[in-house]
Amino acid sequence: MNTMSETEIIQAAPPAPLPNRSAVGWIAWFSLREMARRRRLVSLGLINLLPVLAVLMVRIWLPDKGLTAHLQLMGLSHDMFIPFLIPVVAMAVGASAIGEQIEEGTIVYTWTRPVRRSAIYLGRLLAAQGVATVLLSLSLAMCFLVMVAGNLGVISWEFLKLYLQTFLIIGLGAFAYTALFALMGTVFKKPVLPAILFAFGYEKLVAGIPARVQELSLQFHLQNLVSRPEVVPGDIPGVLATLLNQARPRDPVPSWQSVLVLVVVAALTTVLGMQLLQHKEIEK
Amino acid sequence: MSAGLVVAGQEARITALRVGKWFGEVIAVNNCSLSVGSGVVGLLGANGAGKSTLFKMLAGLIEPSHGEVRVLGARLRDRVGWYRNVGFCPESDALPEWMTGREYLSLMLRLMGLDRAETTRRADAWLERFELVDAANRRLGGYSKGMRQKLKLAQALAHDPEVIFLDEPLNGMDPVSRKGAIDLVGEIGRQGKTVLVSSHILPEIEAMTDQIILMDRGRVLAEGSVAEIRDKIPEHPTTVALVSPDPRALAAFLIGREHVEGVRIDDDQRVVVRTDHAVAFYRALPGWVRDHGLAVTEILTLDDSLEAVFQYLTER
Repeated sequence: MNTMSETEIIQAAPPAPLPNRSAVGWIAWFSLREMARRRRLVSLGLINLLPVLAVLMVRIWLPDKGLTAHLQLMGLSHDMFIPFLIPVVAMAVGASAIGEQIEEGTIVYTWTRPVRRSAIYLGRLLAAQGVATVLLSLSLAMCFLVMVAGNLGVISWEFLKLYLQTFLIIGLGAFAYTALFALMGTVFKKPVLPAILFAFGYEKLVAGIPARVQELSLQFHLQNLVSRPEVVPGDIPGVLATLLNQARPRDPVPSWQSVLVLVVVAALTTVLGMQLLQHKEIEK
Repeated sequence: MSAGLVVAGQEARITALRVGKWFGEVIAVNNCSLSVGSGVVGLLGANGAGKSTLFKMLAGLIEPSHGEVRVLGARLRDRVGWYRNVGFCPESDALPEWMTGREYLSLMLRLMGLDRAETTRRADAWLERFELVDAANRRLGGYSKGMRQKLKLAQALAHDPEVIFLDEPLNGMDPVSRKGAIDLVGEIGRQGKTVLVSSHILPEIEAMTDQIILMDRGRVLAEGSVAEIRDKIPEHPTTVALVSPDPRALAAFLIGREHVEGVRIDDDQRVVVRTDHAVAFYRALPGWVRDHGLAVTEILTLDDSLEAVFQYLTER
């Protein structure tokens, strides 16, 4: 090792701590890069190709069945993104956002910096939400490309509006679910099982119960935001027709109410997670 | 028991007041109080002694079940202010494997609040200090254990903290790096900073400092210099070797004297004395030499080593 005199320049007064917003930004940036390098992102990317494949199949095998781009988009968001892809992606990136660092012991380095734990939580969560949103949006964007490739006639103002709306719904879903799963990752040492039970047990069960009980699921509120097809074409093959028929919420609530519920869930779970992290201990 | 490694008039940098930690039904640390001033202090204890738990409580990683910890007078409640002047090197080998050494060290410095220019300057200086410049742009996943250890040390020291916690800092280092790290820790201690080093390898601590806090079964068993601790244990004999041109005459004289339990001449022709009270023996020896015309050219304390103290105190 070299001698101390060579590093005399390091002797100085301690700097002022980073402002909270900068700390969140640095942690989010660092975490985003870390999450983007995870191997599980490859499998998540493959799963996100499912809607693209579905659109491709419709274009190849059912070009003249009256299944318009509008209907495809509504069906995809209602029956593929909302009940399956959003929870899976949010679970994969959200549940590990905080918990994995605590388990690995790498959180100790940010822990022992003059940074609020709430900033650490928020930075990690924002990164996870960013990764989830980008993954899902990429899938949706690829669907768009497949739908319009060589078929520019489908592009209309109404269609673009619907697309933008779908992006927003998926983004909102990714934010809410990721925040919820990040909280689970902070509470449980092994959050995968409770997360699966929630996403594919509780959510499916509650969303399927009519009347007001279904309002207790995130899935219901996300599906409630999806525009409903006015007419389901009669000549669409059985399974697709069934799926599109299901795309009509049984007991719709006002859209603002669903948006509010999703925002409140995201905010509440974030605040709870930040509070929990305040008292978390590093045992490794 | 209270430990007070603070010289009179010196400010206590780390204080713990009756801190304890329970994990369910198990008590890991029991009612420990201590105060540590500037300089290097070793925290020693066997596995399960409560050393790691106390260390983590002092470093703010876990909260005491009861009692209070202060570092530079501040309670952990003010986490942001608290860590401005604290450096921490964990025992765990976990590092963000995908980052390069330079990126990692720079991020740690940026999170301390340093601007880009200062971050670059300090990162470069510490990478050079630990001879990691050539590996600075390589991913941490490819670093050897010794290199990772150096980088962990660098991130704990690069922001120039007043209080530094080092948990098993020499793990995995090669002998040359180990020597360099020991010298560095000593140098930082001499600059007036507080360095608390936790280790279960006694010679490592001994090479860095003679100021120790010894833990056993969740309690602070003893504190102070190795020699001081040794002298507080009158019921345990101390072994002293006396070099003399006439060892037989000296040995014959010492047999049966007060505080002398046994005398023998070893292979090096030294007179090896077992005394039940080292301080009293050292006090009496010059008088005996002067009054009885004995010749003693050198005095060596054979079991002042940490190992001996540790064994005496913990009866292991």
